[in-house]
Amino acid sequence: MTSILLRMASAKGVALAAGLSLATGAAALAAPGHHGGHGFAYGQPGKAAAATRTITITMHDNYYEPERIQVRAGETVRLIVVNKGELLHEFAIGRPEDHAEHQKMMAEMVDHGMITATSVDHQKMKMDHSGGGHGSHGSHQHSHGPEAGNLLLEPGKTAEMVWTFPKDGVIEFACNIPGHYEAGMVGKIDFRR
Amino acid sequence: MRQTGNGGFSRRAALRIAGAAGLFAIYPGRISFAEAARVFDIAVEEGAISVDGVRSRAVMMGGSVPAPVLRWREGEEVVIHATNRLREPTSIHWHGLLIDGEMDGAPGFNGFAPIAPGETYTYRFRLRQSGTYWYHSHSAMQEQSGMYGAIVIEPTGRDPVRTDRDYVVVLSDHTVERPERVLGKLKANPGYYNRGKRTLMDFLSDARREGLGAALRDRREWGEMRMDPTDLADVTGYAFLINGRGPADNWTGLFQPGERVRLRFINASAMSFFDVRIPGLPMTVVAADGQNVQPVRVDEFRFGVGETYDVVVLPREERAFTIFAEPIDRSGFARATLAPRAGMEGEIPERRPRTILSMADMGEAHGGMDHSGHAAPVSAAAASGHAGHGGHGGHGGHGGHAGHGGAEAAGGPARPFGWADAATPPGMKALSYADLRSLVRNPDPRPPSHEIEVQLTGIMERYIWTLNGAKHDHGAPIRVRYGDRVRITFVNTTMMAHPMHLHGMFVELENGETERRPRKHVVVVPPGLRVSVLLTADEPGDWPFHCHLLYHMASGMMTRFVVERNTARL
Repeated sequence: MTSILLRMASAKGVALAAGLSLATGAAALAAPGHHGGHGFAYGQPGKAAAATRTITITMHDNYYEPERIQVRAGETVRLIVVNKGELLHEFAIGRPEDHAEHQKMMAEMVDHGMITATSVDHQKMKMDHSGGGHGSHGSHQHSHGPEAGNLLLEPGKTAEMVWTFPKDGVIEFACNIPGHYEAGMVGKIDFRR
Repeated sequence: MRQTGNGGFSRRAALRIAGAAGLFAIYPGRISFAEAARVFDIAVEEGAISVDGVRSRAVMMGGSVPAPVLRWREGEEVVIHATNRLREPTSIHWHGLLIDGEMDGAPGFNGFAPIAPGETYTYRFRLRQSGTYWYHSHSAMQEQSGMYGAIVIEPTGRDPVRTDRDYVVVLSDHTVERPERVLGKLKANPGYYNRGKRTLMDFLSDARREGLGAALRDRREWGEMRMDPTDLADVTGYAFLINGRGPADNWTGLFQPGERVRLRFINASAMSFFDVRIPGLPMTVVAADGQNVQPVRVDEFRFGVGETYDVVVLPREERAFTIFAEPIDRSGFARATLAPRAGMEGEIPERRPRTILSMADMGEAHGGMDHSGHAAPVSAAAASGHAGHGGHGGHGGHGGHAGHGGAEAAGGPARPFGWADAATPPGMKALSYADLRSLVRNPDPRPPSHEIEVQLTGIMERYIWTLNGAKHDHGAPIRVRYGDRVRITFVNTTMMAHPMHLHGMFVELENGETERRPRKHVVVVPPGLRVSVLLTADEPGDWPFHCHLLYHMASGMMTRFVVERNTARL
């Protein structure tokens, strides 16, 4: 736990916009997507110096603009995400099955009052996390925050992360706050040849 | 996710241009040179429809039941030439549209005269909103006979809901009897269609469950009120239709696995509340009465006559799913299918038991009250899980059927019972009014300056349904000034739920939300309960305000809601 927060806080360029120390007792995404080490089937955190360009994505209620971004196989990109809506939104990179798992966790976070329609309850988020008992720290590290390819932003906030995409795959960026994905708050990553 | 198609961008761009062109319409109400009005011709005529192989008479608009879907765009002006080819007067009302009074199409209101046989009336109005609405006759019993259809208005800006497919799902009830004859029978014997009357066997099973004393007491109380605990619907013997098709006809909407499908459910029935579910497919509710709401995931929802819900489903499997809608008296069902290919069928789910009204639906203090005249004492808002009254913080919790009358035990959501009990299995989520949160903030933050109480009243034995004890045009109209902010509190003193519809304006349902109350044009008021709404009276006119159960409206459950224009004096 401690390590996760420290790593986040020290991650260069990461805005602690809206409680990036996300975690719950819910099942983590960890295993299925792993390519070993720090990677996921949908990529891994990248070094800022390796970023070839910056892409800005704007969040609205409830959709992204743009809804489609193009990357090259294995490209490292700096992603800036701006929430111009009035509701809390997430920007999560993953495969459809990763998002499906993530949605279950988000629903629990709502049930536990850790997030509301518009905000993150940082206090509850911490309490729930330290309560522990579920999963390993390892899995948490890989499930939440920019390290796992996701950002949670309250209205008006901006956050960013550097992400190295894999070579290929069916990968979406999505908001897994209950109902948002179903309503169409999802975008597609196109791999340019 | 399937690609939504690169047409998305270009279409949006086109809409923006259209929106900008609208700015040049300097004289609202006149036809703008920048934007030609779209013109429609709709004939109203008698015909015949076939439901599961049974032919019967119908009244149609545009040659079909339901009438053709009108797909319009926010901001555009539409012109509809409605020609009456019936032998009686007719009218077309645009349900849920913000519209000038006369164009609203309700005879006897706002100077609108019924369209005489052989005549053509031209409706002309500019669309000031987007979403799912419907249109139907506001004359005689024509709506019951098939005169209803869907309206879908695309927003000028980006629709906050994006799906790959979009279907209208119109639910209705159809009778082979002439509706006038149905009403006649109800007047003669209000229990005529109640085939679920309790029998000696029911009594014995109650006695076994509750003890003889309780069962006897319960029977006696029901007897005193001359009501029947199975009284959920006045009329049975209906065929229940989806998009004009019976359960065997099986209307089918196609999808490819992985696609998002938007279903625009419209309850266009005359008399039926429906419980709607798609077994195996959770629904995300994205709009209520045409107004966007924060998406909420449910397994089923109940809706009253006149209400609409837009839901999104995401079928991932290559199989057929059944859209299943049961009227609350369980006298039949409507069924349709979502499938990857035409001709596929899903399983028909097990039918749910009929709701048995409980004494709680009579309100709490039923002992010692005068029970004559089909009046039930009304339970206090707080006791019934309603946050509604006054919007104070006493909300009963989001787990129960707050908006739909489920009484809740203190300290947590309990199973809804009585009217609100849809027999939802444990672990399944039924939509409640408390779940509805507007996607956008309510525009008028003012507290109400005064309160209007509307008593929903009736005498079941004579099949007279009234508001504040008076039949339509026998009582005084409700009057407010233009711009007033008011609270309307519905007090249901009867044993039936009433879907209350105000023309011309949206009301904000007081469901516990403070800034994002859902905006509705129909509000269901369950038996024995109070429900309150806020209204900014910003549309001058004299508007119909009525129960949307057709036979209730026809027997008098309607009044006039007058928004008085400001005069130039002072």
